[in-house]
Amino acid sequence: MGKKVLVVDDDPDVRLFNTTVVEESGHTPIEAANGEEALQMIRSEAPDLVILDVLMPRQSGIRLYRQLKTDASMKDIKVMVLSGINKKSFLKSQQALAEFGGGDVPEPELYLEKPVEADVLATAIKKAIG
Amino acid sequence: MTKILLIDDEPDLLRVLVRSLNADGHEVATALDGPKGLDLFEGQRPAVVITDIKMPGMSGIEVLKRIKERAPEAEVIIITGHGDMDTAVEALHFGASDFVTKPFRGETLAIAIRRAEEKIDIKRRLREYTLDLEGKVAEATVELRRRSNFLSNLIRSSNDAIVATDEKLAIVVFNPEAERILGYRQEDVVQRRRLSELLPAEMVEFFSQAMQDTCTDKECPWTETEIASRDGDRIPVRFSGSVLMEGDRKRGTVVFFQDLREIKRLQRELVHSERLAAIGQTVAGLAHGIKNILHGLKGGSHLVDVGIGGKDEQKLRKGWDTIKRSIERMSNLVMDLLSYSKEREPDYEPCTPNDIAAEVCDLMKARAQQGGIDLVRDFDPAIGRVCMDPQTIHTVLVNLVSNALDACLFDERPPRQWKVLVQTGSEANRTIRFVVTDNGAGMTEEVKARLFTSFFSTKGQQGTGLGLLVTRKLIQEHGGRIEVQSRLGEGTTVVVRLPYREDGTSR
Repeated sequence: MGKKVLVVDDDPDVRLFNTTVVEESGHTPIEAANGEEALQMIRSEAPDLVILDVLMPRQSGIRLYRQLKTDASMKDIKVMVLSGINKKSFLKSQQALAEFGGGDVPEPELYLEKPVEADVLATAIKKAIG
Repeated sequence: MTKILLIDDEPDLLRVLVRSLNADGHEVATALDGPKGLDLFEGQRPAVVITDIKMPGMSGIEVLKRIKERAPEAEVIIITGHGDMDTAVEALHFGASDFVTKPFRGETLAIAIRRAEEKIDIKRRLREYTLDLEGKVAEATVELRRRSNFLSNLIRSSNDAIVATDEKLAIVVFNPEAERILGYRQEDVVQRRRLSELLPAEMVEFFSQAMQDTCTDKECPWTETEIASRDGDRIPVRFSGSVLMEGDRKRGTVVFFQDLREIKRLQRELVHSERLAAIGQTVAGLAHGIKNILHGLKGGSHLVDVGIGGKDEQKLRKGWDTIKRSIERMSNLVMDLLSYSKEREPDYEPCTPNDIAAEVCDLMKARAQQGGIDLVRDFDPAIGRVCMDPQTIHTVLVNLVSNALDACLFDERPPRQWKVLVQTGSEANRTIRFVVTDNGAGMTEEVKARLFTSFFSTKGQQGTGLGLLVTRKLIQEHGGRIEVQSRLGEGTTVVVRLPYREDGTSR
């Protein structure tokens, strides 16, 4: 029922919006302002879903995404990318990193581009964790 | 071979000589007396005439004289009697080439004739040579005149102003372009005025020094400066010059200078059109920035709706704050864009660069502390009050320090002692130097090359993406320069140089 959702974004306004929608969807939000913080929270709080921004200081979403998907203890966590960058660019960057020796990484289950309507986000959250 | 005329009153002698001469291959005409001989001479124009001295009627001397009158180049050999030295000498006076004394052997005459032939040959060659020489001198003179005209034309029509002096630095060449720029006429300047009266100190100084014997500097590289024309206009120019040498001696100087007004105008136009082109590029980037702001607006309005619907004042308040912040961000973006696209003259006023730099550091202190970054100041205390545009300094420094802080914040390497250093210093030519150094992420050559042309902001809520472009524009309008050095993984240094005017003077 009330699952744990980690909202990661450096923009506090975005975090406010996202956490509100999470709450309305009946889930419990926790926040992180950058990749580093996010990693800490994932390890300590074990969320069911991570809503991830890409462009952030102190470890960007790109790096964090790869970490999540290659770490045995974290790869089953659902990840929704919510970013100003479009999906194609995101996938290209992952591909570049893969070629660089990082190895392939699965595509995110969900990818939303900002700005996003509240109901679109709500639907996506429902699809991910109910 | 040679046509010979033989004049002798002794027919026997003639017969013998003719035979001898014919045997040698010469063509011989004979005459038994002077008058006949002269007639033959007129008709046949022999190269060599051999005449007896003692003849009845016209004497050999007379014949000699007459022949020499008509044909001074004819070789006349006279035949004298034994012991007749005086006559021989007289004949030589009148132009005889040679004499043989009777009685003589056939060879003697042959030798004399040969000598005469040689002389004829030499004379001919000399004549040819002289003609040739005269021809060459004429050619050379024409060529010289042509080149001299060419050079004159060159100097006259040169787009560069050319001013040349003698060794005393008195002006000897002053071309039309120099007249135009300086406002003096050539006739008023040449040999009347000295370099120091017309040209700025820095130009004159080089040359006074260069003319000193001890100085080995011979050339002055292109340097920019300002010239005051006769009417008092200040004209930006670029000048270069050298010492004119003749062998080892310093003969004078020559200065070339170019009016930069047109070039500067074109440069400004280029900068302007580059900027317009860049604006086209930034539209895509702008869209990105606006998307972010829109997201904030949507989020805010959603919260307001929820707040109103659920009568939740806290949500309402939060939502409204979000909207207000988004409006502010939108406004900043628009201001930056306008600022970037408009031409603006800097507002020079007396200010203290160190104070402005300190203000900016104070502004950025909180953010630096939050990020665990050491923000260090190193201002040159010798910099006092100068005339610059304080707004330019402020905006530029805010942008650069902000970028430096971000470079540290966005550094994905393991945490380290991040440091941003802000320095001020003064340089020659009335320049203030601002340096912002960070030891953050650094940039690759590729990224560095695109710094000022593409629009990219990694700054989420804060950046408009136009920061650096606006910065560069402000610097250029202030007449300054910006230089970026960066190494991936090591950090970045940005050096800005801005010129100032002396405080208080109006230039």
